[in-house]
Amino acid sequence: MKDTLDPVPNARTWRQIPQPVRPRAMSREGRKRFAFAVLKTGGLVVLAGTVGWGVVEMTNTWQSEPKRIALAVGTAPVGRIDLVTDGVIDRAWVEGALALPRNITLMELNLAPLQQRLLANGQVRSVVLTKSFPATLTVKITERSPVARLRAENGRDFIVARDGVIFNGIGYDQAMTDSLPWLAGVKVVRAGEGFAPIAGMETVANLLATARNEAPGLYQTWQVVDLARFDSDGEIEVRSSEIARITFSTALDFDTQVARLDYVREAKPAALKSVNLGLGSQVVVDYDATAPLGRPAVPAVKSPVVPHPFAFPNLSTSSRPNRDL
Amino acid sequence: MTSSTKFIGAVEIGTSKVTVLVGEFTGRELAIIGYGECQSRGVMKGVVVDYKAASECAHAAMQAAEQSAGEQIDLVYLAQSGGHLEGFYNEAAVNVKSADNMISALDIDTVCRLATAKELPAGRMVVHNIRRPFRVDGRLVPGNPEHLVGQRLEVGYWTVHGQESRLADTIHVIRGFNLEVRELILSGLASGHMVTTAEERQHGVLAIDLGAGVTDFVLYRDGGPYATGVVPVGGSHLTNDLSLGLRLTEGQAEKLKLRHGRALVQGRSKADKVWLDGNFTIGDRQFPQQTIEQITAARTWEILEVVKKKLGPAFTPETCSAGVVLTGGTAKLPGIAECAAKVFGVPAHLGETPSWVNENLRDPGFSTALGLLYYGLASQAERAAPARRKRGFLQKLFAPA
Repeated sequence: MKDTLDPVPNARTWRQIPQPVRPRAMSREGRKRFAFAVLKTGGLVVLAGTVGWGVVEMTNTWQSEPKRIALAVGTAPVGRIDLVTDGVIDRAWVEGALALPRNITLMELNLAPLQQRLLANGQVRSVVLTKSFPATLTVKITERSPVARLRAENGRDFIVARDGVIFNGIGYDQAMTDSLPWLAGVKVVRAGEGFAPIAGMETVANLLATARNEAPGLYQTWQVVDLARFDSDGEIEVRSSEIARITFSTALDFDTQVARLDYVREAKPAALKSVNLGLGSQVVVDYDATAPLGRPAVPAVKSPVVPHPFAFPNLSTSSRPNRDL
Repeated sequence: MTSSTKFIGAVEIGTSKVTVLVGEFTGRELAIIGYGECQSRGVMKGVVVDYKAASECAHAAMQAAEQSAGEQIDLVYLAQSGGHLEGFYNEAAVNVKSADNMISALDIDTVCRLATAKELPAGRMVVHNIRRPFRVDGRLVPGNPEHLVGQRLEVGYWTVHGQESRLADTIHVIRGFNLEVRELILSGLASGHMVTTAEERQHGVLAIDLGAGVTDFVLYRDGGPYATGVVPVGGSHLTNDLSLGLRLTEGQAEKLKLRHGRALVQGRSKADKVWLDGNFTIGDRQFPQQTIEQITAARTWEILEVVKKKLGPAFTPETCSAGVVLTGGTAKLPGIAECAAKVFGVPAHLGETPSWVNENLRDPGFSTALGLLYYGLASQAERAAPARRKRGFLQKLFAPA
């Protein structure tokens, strides 16, 4: 038994037997396998070398002359813009917004800035740009639905969408925009090139949708939706051609409130001055003693040509509360 | 198939046949997907004597296995046998170095290196260094003794070594097929591991692989191999004895052995005779059944006696309570288990491959190739394991050879 330390001799093991491949010592099948292995290895080396060389060349070309790569892939300029939309935007506007340089090819197009150009208009909710080779650019647009209108001090009209986004309406039918009520009592704040979305428009849109669906005749008379007391009291004030002030509560169900208003309107013994629907089960009705009894023979409709007293003049970026415009 | 999938070839170049199994190792498990077999030529007593003939039949078997699997073998686990293989036991001990007598990895490494550091005669090479359990202050430690407290650490190795030229010849046969030999494994170890259970190995069991040209044996104790050996006598010697004794050709003698040979004489009368072919063709004749049995039984008894003699004092019925397990082609000889029980004085039975092995591969002749695949699985799993687990199955069983 040993109890000594180094140096320790190491016995030779079978692993030290060299395992050379000598073609002459191989069988026919072995030689075939050897040749195949050599070819496979050689092929892999050549492939790896080719790929490496290609990557280096591409990188160099990309850095020095990126145009060459674009030209090599496809030299045909963009020939057509295909537009797919769920709204009213037309191809002319899209072409104008994209403002593609003449003779630009699909490979040269950078889609991200083009997408931003289209999204700059609030009417465009989302956009997908697809290059369809050889020369077609496909634009798929999802649009926002208009809910109300706004008028600036300078007389410019804007459309307000359900999510509160303010935008210039493109391609809308005049009769449709005329049917939208005006928005008042809101503070509009600039954000970049456009305006910040109006808070609470989702609720307003629900009220308008309820009125439009449940009592279309009533909705037709609505001219102004005032949000001056929206934040403070949770009230939406509507001014119509028949009733000077209708007050809705955001805390109550709009279906019930609209139904009550419709009932009051149908059953009124005299001209109405104001109706307050925001007091629970009670409806406060104020009659106009000066007005003649009975409903007007022809219901008054909104007139877009009449300058609206509640259009907003303030486009400042100030954070000062200013709901009464 | 993932990039980590490897196709392992288990090749046994035996005296009577070359067996190749192809296993698909997917990183976790190994599935046997191909099989090839070819009658062996150019191999005598487990040793390549005609390189070209041996290569041709080995390559034919490997090609058949690859065709059967539909995949190309990536690496080979090769069984090694032959009378040139010998083994010896060497042990070493060290005093634990740390002041608190806690055994460190360095102590273990030192004692292992000392135990395996034995000069071999010229032309001999180590095939396996099989470690026996550690002893701490004389107390047996089945596992890793690191962090145990003791003053003296001892370990012993059973070193299997073989003739360099013989080992190289077998390896070159595989290289001739342009395949790498990843591991060289003693045939007896491969087959023994397949036909014995962990419980049997723990209690002590002797596994004997009776091949055509050689008989491999492994004595297991304390859960691991204790001693190994190869006797250059096998089933072909039974055939040869019959051929000489009854004046037959080798083919006729082989036929008689397979049909009427027995490892124990059943005590029939001399009047009982058997036909050579039984089809009444010219040359067909009768032989006494008892004579055939006497010849085969005498030689079988002798082979087993040689095994017992080679084991020497390492084998005692007390240390081999699980008995003797027989495998290999010659183990199919009727009555061989009873014969072994009489020779060794312990119960004996024929080895059975595990139940997960396909029905077609349950023959005792496949136990070596199956064992090679088992080692392949263990080895590949160890390679795939994280570095800290590297001292695993094979490394624990065999020191770096």
